Amino acid sequence: MATTTTIPSIRSGPGHAVPAPRRRSPFSGDWARLGAVLGLLVVGFLVSRVLNVPAWLGPFPDAFGQALMARLDSVYEWVVTNRNNSPLFVYGFNYVSVGLGTAVVVITQALVLLTWPGVVLLGALATWRVAGWRVTLVVLAAFAVFGLTGLWYEAMTTLSLIITSVLIALVIGIPLGVWAGQSDRVHAAVRPVLDFMQIMPAFAYLLPFVLMFGISNPAAAVVTTVYAMPPVVRITAMAIRGVDQGAIEATTSLGSTPWQLLTKVRLPMAKRTILLGVNQTIMLAVSMVVIASVIGAGGLGDAIYQALAKVNVGQAFEAGLAIVMLAIAMDRVTGAAGHGEHAPEIPRRLRLPVLGAGALAVVVVVLLARLAGVANWPDAVTVSIVGPVNSLEAGLQASIGGIASIGGDVLLHGVLNPLTALLTGTPWPVVVLVAAAIGWIFGGRRVALTSALALLTTGLLGVWENSMNTLAQVLVAAAITIAVGVVVGVLAARSDGLAAVLRPILDAMQTLPPFVYLIPAVALFGIGRIPALAAAFIFALPPVIRLVNDGLRGVSVAAVEAATSQGSTRWQVLTKVQLPLARPSLLLAVNQGIMMVLAMVVMGALVGAGSLGYDVVFGLAQNDLGLGLASGLAIVCLGLFLDRVTQGRRSDA
Amino acid sequence: MRNTPIGRVLTRTLAVLMTAVLVSSCAVRTSDMPRDPNTVRIAVNGWVGYEASAEVLAYLLRHEMGYEVQLMRIDEQPSWQALDQGVLDAIVENWGHEDLMELYGPEGNGTVVDGGPNGNDGYIGWYVPRYLVDRYPGIDTLEGIEENIEIFQTAETGGSGEFLGGDPAFVTQDQGMINAFGLDLEIVYAGSEAAQITEVRNRYANEEPALFYFYDPQWLLHELDLVRVELPPYEDGCDADPDQVPCGYPAYDLNKIFRAGFTEDGGSAYEFLDNWQWTNDDQNAVAQLIADEGMDPEEAAGQWVEDNPEVWESWIPDEGDVRR
Repeated sequence: MATTTTIPSIRSGPGHAVPAPRRRSPFSGDWARLGAVLGLLVVGFLVSRVLNVPAWLGPFPDAFGQALMARLDSVYEWVVTNRNNSPLFVYGFNYVSVGLGTAVVVITQALVLLTWPGVVLLGALATWRVAGWRVTLVVLAAFAVFGLTGLWYEAMTTLSLIITSVLIALVIGIPLGVWAGQSDRVHAAVRPVLDFMQIMPAFAYLLPFVLMFGISNPAAAVVTTVYAMPPVVRITAMAIRGVDQGAIEATTSLGSTPWQLLTKVRLPMAKRTILLGVNQTIMLAVSMVVIASVIGAGGLGDAIYQALAKVNVGQAFEAGLAIVMLAIAMDRVTGAAGHGEHAPEIPRRLRLPVLGAGALAVVVVVLLARLAGVANWPDAVTVSIVGPVNSLEAGLQASIGGIASIGGDVLLHGVLNPLTALLTGTPWPVVVLVAAAIGWIFGGRRVALTSALALLTTGLLGVWENSMNTLAQVLVAAAITIAVGVVVGVLAARSDGLAAVLRPILDAMQTLPPFVYLIPAVALFGIGRIPALAAAFIFALPPVIRLVNDGLRGVSVAAVEAATSQGSTRWQVLTKVQLPLARPSLLLAVNQGIMMVLAMVVMGALVGAGSLGYDVVFGLAQNDLGLGLASGLAIVCLGLFLDRVTQGRRSDA
Repeated sequence: MRNTPIGRVLTRTLAVLMTAVLVSSCAVRTSDMPRDPNTVRIAVNGWVGYEASAEVLAYLLRHEMGYEVQLMRIDEQPSWQALDQGVLDAIVENWGHEDLMELYGPEGNGTVVDGGPNGNDGYIGWYVPRYLVDRYPGIDTLEGIEENIEIFQTAETGGSGEFLGGDPAFVTQDQGMINAFGLDLEIVYAGSEAAQITEVRNRYANEEPALFYFYDPQWLLHELDLVRVELPPYEDGCDADPDQVPCGYPAYDLNKIFRAGFTEDGGSAYEFLDNWQWTNDDQNAVAQLIADEGMDPEEAAGQWVEDNPEVWESWIPDEGDVRR
């Protein structure tokens, strides 16, 4: 999740180019119409209150939803009693689940067998060979953090889960991407599926996978694979498409077979871009294994999940640090391997001996470590930062806790409660119509239809009220995030100093797993919807700032100079030239901000935010498939609505 | 479709895989997952009392009996599922769950067995702080709550009173009770035991009203002065309809649940877990070290083990069976 925004243009595909703004101020006409539509919503609400809603306009009819949930519950019962009888399982899903479970266990065992000195040496040598000595230092630092935080074993568990999932994602994703890169039809078929996979908040689809593949590692490996695969497919397809036509024609005219064309021309030429996709896939896998701890995946994510359950900020920070180091190390290794610049130059005839020497060194170290009895990282050699972090947090709470909770109450009473009342109190047909109208304004006819259908579906699933509740939370959190993000982004775009200071902070924030943000939020705001909003705000802020900053800096210098020479003030340059020209980036910032807020708000159920997220957690915890799955699907519907509306007009193109 | 090479390769691979699956007649059961016989896998449910039990058992298995132990943090119902699928070996503190025993036990799938009581007595109920009872006499009864319902209103619940729930995974019939008693209460789930305790402690420090789901054994009861709300006693079947539960919770003899296979191939690890029984005070002593003093769970277990050899020595099976 954290890094989806690094290469924003990939997500939207070739249709991304937004036409230059047609109006001087691109938003004004839309805003007027939006205001009218929202006015309609308020009027609808007031009229229905005053006239005492007629029965047929009452709450969303939930007969269908109830029937669906009952049906799903019976599916659940069937699976539980037939998991080891039905051919569907014993010849199907169980193969996958036992295979994956075995793979994760075997890799973990292998890493334990290697002992920690062996793993460190192997990691360092392999990194040096593919990425050079600078990156090796980063990898060594990551290993040091694993050991010193006392989380060595957890890190190895997480690593083996990541290795398994990423391998599967690549084995499926690269061929699929190559295929989609060569065939327009496949590309057209695959794209909506990938879109859907990326819109789904990961939290929402844990339950069905647990049902199919069983609790713990197997399901965790599958969800991680599903979550991490889209970028490698997209980027591979893009890379294959981008291969120079001239080279292809030249090879074809020489009589190459299609297979030769692929292996000798297309793949080699696309290699560097494909490695970028691999990099993205790894980063997504890192962030997903943390979420997968909710279904018993263990490892570093589990350490964070436990810290959340204990409201222990220090412990969460420590485990978060280990994950950040893991992510940074894997990012640098794959990044450097993609460039291939820093890898040491080894003459061809020496390559095999170097490899052999490295392998020998690892074997010797492993044997020595085993003989010397230092196979496990010594408990004595750890540095705990739990204490200091916790006292820092306690100090922070003492100083701003009071103000924070007052601010929270104001937000709750002044904004969130009225908005929730508006959305849940207005007759549902009016809300659906308003959603359609908003879709029309921002995206055109097709988006209008999608929006209306998405909201209708949440109602049909039987969770209308909770959906509106969640929607209200998302809208409030997203509005605050985008407002703050745009201001900070503009400031960063105007000051190189600020941008330089922000960069590493934003990098670290984007790598931290989402759970981490919930913990200080609970400590500061107590439980309820406010801490969930606070966590969502912190989680979604970095990409918004980054996209706004990049967008503004990307505006051509000539346009700015032209405006300045005509005597425009700095404010005028900003509002009349820079912001309009950066419109695509701003739209993307809004889109990404909202989607990330949605992903986080549903996780807010872990700290008492209730509504849809709570039902997903409840479904997982109490094996209530009907409620859990219906709520998960409703989250996906909300995601679809919010995504389509904020993607702008290109969907019509 | 254009005859793209990758398409052909994919189709061919798929065909090979399909035939491989069809030809191989070996059906795979989830319990075929490989398991290291020297590793005991214990579920850790989401409250610190449970964690205390599990950590002490893990400590003894590791340090006194030479086993590896894998503790998996997972909720109650999924733990049963994990036993059923052969991913875990034991649940060491089970609260009721007759329905799950029916589903997975000897009468159902036959994959789990009741391991007998663990010595802890369980109580679930509604609690209010003592200072509230002093201020509003009788608030520890249903009538008292109804009379004073407005003091429980918060920003989160608006016009209704707030009932503070715990972890969504916990055993609960609160909504059914609220319905049956006709109380204008809205449940706000804290999401976890610790989050709930943090909230209760904050309110306690400021002497603010609080009405919440809580349970015993629970170390916090030794630190804060809390009063149980009087609820109509549990009678067999009064909780049959989850939407209308006109009674309190039953008393629980907390018990152990084992994977059926573990009772056969678990060796002395199974024998040890089977022997184990301890009191609520034992559990609270360890839980308090973990949750209140913030001690590392493993260290807390180690300290208890060091201080109480007379309690645990009888759990360890005869020397001959132990893999030292």
